[in-house]
Amino acid sequence: MAMKNKERKKIIQAIPFMLPSLVGMVLFSLLPMVIAIALSFTDWSGLGKFSFSMVSRQFIGLENYKRLLSQGEFWSAVGHVMYFVALYLPISFFFSMMVALLLNSGKKLSGLYRILYYIPVLTSWVAASLIWKWVLSSQYGVFNSILSIFGIQGPDWLTNKYWAMPGIVLASVWKDMGFYGLYIFGGLRTIDTGYYEAAQIDGAGKWVTLTRITIPLLSPTLFYCLIMSLINAFQLFPQVQIMTEGGPNGATQVPVERIYTYAFSYFKMGYAAAFSWLLFLIILVLTMVQLKAQKAWVHYEA
Amino acid sequence: MALPIQWIPHHPTLQSYRKVFSLFPFGKAILNSLFVSITFTVITVLSSSMAAFAIAKIRFKGAGAFFRMYLMSMMIPTQITLIPLFIIMSRLNLTNTYTSVISPSIFSAFSIFLLVQNLRSLPDDFMEAAKIDGASLWTIYFRVIMPMEKPVLATLVVTTFMGAWNDYLWPLVMLSDKTKMTLTLALNTLNGQYGTEYNVLMAGCLISMVPIIVVYIIAQTQMKQGITAGGVKG
Amino acid sequence: MKVKRLVSMGLAAVLAAGVTACGSSQDKSATEQTANENQTGTSESASAESASPESNDSESDAPITITYANFNASGGNEETLNKMYEAFHKAYPNITVKIETIAMDDYFTTMQTRIAGGTGPDCLEMNIENFGTYASQGILEELTGADTEGMNQTALQAFQYDGTQYGLPENFSTVVLVYNKDLFDKAGIDYPSDSWTRDDVDAAAEKIRALGDDIYGIYQPVTYNEFYKVAAQYGGSLLDADKTEFTINSEENVTALQSMVDRVQKTNVQPTEEQMGGMGDWDLFESGRLGMIPTGTWCFNTFKDACDFNWDICVEPGETQKATHFFANALVVNKDASAEAKAAAQKWITWLASSSDAAQIRLDAGWDLPALDDTSKLSSYLEQTPPENRQAVFDSLNDIVLPPIINDYQQMSDIITDCISKAAKGECTAKEALDDAQSQCEAAIKLK
Repeated sequence: MAMKNKERKKIIQAIPFMLPSLVGMVLFSLLPMVIAIALSFTDWSGLGKFSFSMVSRQFIGLENYKRLLSQGEFWSAVGHVMYFVALYLPISFFFSMMVALLLNSGKKLSGLYRILYYIPVLTSWVAASLIWKWVLSSQYGVFNSILSIFGIQGPDWLTNKYWAMPGIVLASVWKDMGFYGLYIFGGLRTIDTGYYEAAQIDGAGKWVTLTRITIPLLSPTLFYCLIMSLINAFQLFPQVQIMTEGGPNGATQVPVERIYTYAFSYFKMGYAAAFSWLLFLIILVLTMVQLKAQKAWVHYEA
Repeated sequence: MALPIQWIPHHPTLQSYRKVFSLFPFGKAILNSLFVSITFTVITVLSSSMAAFAIAKIRFKGAGAFFRMYLMSMMIPTQITLIPLFIIMSRLNLTNTYTSVISPSIFSAFSIFLLVQNLRSLPDDFMEAAKIDGASLWTIYFRVIMPMEKPVLATLVVTTFMGAWNDYLWPLVMLSDKTKMTLTLALNTLNGQYGTEYNVLMAGCLISMVPIIVVYIIAQTQMKQGITAGGVKG
Repeated sequence: MKVKRLVSMGLAAVLAAGVTACGSSQDKSATEQTANENQTGTSESASAESASPESNDSESDAPITITYANFNASGGNEETLNKMYEAFHKAYPNITVKIETIAMDDYFTTMQTRIAGGTGPDCLEMNIENFGTYASQGILEELTGADTEGMNQTALQAFQYDGTQYGLPENFSTVVLVYNKDLFDKAGIDYPSDSWTRDDVDAAAEKIRALGDDIYGIYQPVTYNEFYKVAAQYGGSLLDADKTEFTINSEENVTALQSMVDRVQKTNVQPTEEQMGGMGDWDLFESGRLGMIPTGTWCFNTFKDACDFNWDICVEPGETQKATHFFANALVVNKDASAEAKAAAQKWITWLASSSDAAQIRLDAGWDLPALDDTSKLSSYLEQTPPENRQAVFDSLNDIVLPPIINDYQQMSDIITDCISKAAKGECTAKEALDDAQSQCEAAIKLK
């Protein structure tokens, strides 16, 4: 009985803290999602005034889902994004960590560096994509010119179906490493310096400090970056839309690019909505796996 | 664009900058953008840190379920919820108002998640000590937790401000009144059907980066302070 | 702190300077602005004259405010559009038009979203590709109150759906063959003329290609838009006459695609994607390394400023027959608007499309061509040079091929572009590409 009262008290205490975000979630996230689910069972074009009676009039059940799963396009789009995620996650993680450690090193260099590494994050994808189109241009691009100094003949990045996705990965890592780097840096800063002082007294080396103190204490932040980059990477879109438009030969066609095209250029909103929910399921499953797996490596206080 | 690409201009000129300022009420657009972005950021930071505090530190029954639900809301592409969200706004009679642009800031799963993760790595003893001193949860939230979270809140301010400042499609869809235009919207009218004056567009983009850089530099000073600066434990 | 600020400013400056330099060739503003200024006086006096007869019938109406959305004024012509509106408002003082200009890239996404929410504009601009889909969804108002006299008949017909007039042609542009005179002189060959066929173009292109390793004869991208036109030049088409079946892999179409692909793969008078290296086709022409480019009349202002060599235009050569591109934007009325707004909107779009004031302001700003039947009203357009042979813009109207509009137009165009670009890369034959496109279109798209 005492336990129950304590729990109830906690809930009452939590309500005012939760209320603003909860109202926002219901109105601006949950309701749109409910409408999007409803749309996925219709053959609505997306052109014309929406009404709830339309949903029942144009109801086609699971037809969209059946068609999606039977079509190669869905699976190839998912395959492409998986390929992107597999390349992007480790590379981006490595560089973000480097950025954070450099920022935290406290050396003179980091003053200039703090601005430099963040410039890509501050640039919009429109400008960044244009810059990367030039950088990766096979004949006139900076990237291949640099490679050629070392006697390497660079590939036709964005126009070759095998190299287009790695090209997108390069641009994405460049753009995002400052972003995640900043979060990891923020996490580093919240680590109590007392731990380091204690380690120093115990005579711990740099490596031991990193693996025994920094990484465990940073693990909640690292986990955050992992989940966020996973969720975001699966929704890869603007860079693809501007740099390759899904090409060459559909090699960079990814789910959100398909969803946007179906919704706003092919006017198949119902189909696009169903596509979104299948993508949602994939991301959900992968995130759930990560949430389960975190117990093995993420350390929370208290 | 002459090729091969000329990285260093033959005739550097400020012409493009002058043109940007002459094309549309630039000052007004900047003020609009500042208003929207600052309000957006303040609301997001307050509402998210409150929710994160409840989830990570009050740890009420069901907090985990809320947390997972918040996470799930990020997994659906915004491209597909654009029209549904617009429909809700228009049913609420909020089209062509700043309220419609700013109000979604009240729920940011991304920020709540960040803060929850960060709070979880903070020891509970601070809170317990304050509780024994008879402090209310609000006092603990404002006086103990917020100061300790400064570095992470500073990063959150930068990214939220940047997101709001650069946001394009949502304000475009919502605001049809010219006088309400934000800077990003104004800049985009420089894009033509068949071609764009990239020099003017880029000049505009660079001007629009200045406020973000300023916010970033200010936030930097906060980020550099570690937990010991809060002077809570020692 | 100070150091950081300096560094960031320095960086911004370097970036800005680089970018400013890259784009400077496209600065067409100065000429346009002077054109605008010269213009103000005449247009105002002109509108004052026409104001009296028309304002009679509108005076009985109560004041009304309508909204109008467009993309065409984006990127430098907002002032021109405002000037048109001022002239209109003088003639119809009761009608206030709130104009919203949105860049093309997000225009249709925005319109679609707002219409779904029931807050679309009262009237709006449409491109020819989206017109059919919008009309088929029943969201456009039938234009009964519009006086279509004096409008270009071809353009007018393009904006009918199932025999009903849903759109008024606002402007038009054609595609012509633009050529670099200097390269032709260097190669010692005659300039292209209206009597040329694609074979003549190929022969000239090969001679120009021989001038240098990085000089190319022609650039006509192997994309959907070019393909349906070239197909028509060989007597082919993508759909049968009553648009009930796809005829993408017909013999004529295969020959047409083969001729396009040969220029890239066989004779290489046209650069491959790798040889282009991410460069734009206009950039290639402007750099003086391209002999011929079939492109839209909207290139004139840009080429005028960017090309430091002589160039001219002629009607695009065909093969068994001539076929030229025709693009037009339509003005349409939102069915969801109130009855009063619809009536006022029809007055505004009719005025915008066909009044001589609007036409004159449009022409004087060098914006685009009003879709009027009487081309003599467009004479001031012909007087501007380059190109010398501006008459070709109008001559092109004799052989136009309209895009094969169907409900799933974008999807069809994407499928075809995707398939034929494989052929352009030499990954499959022209026949295989078109067979593939045919079966994909049949599977994905239901025709009426």
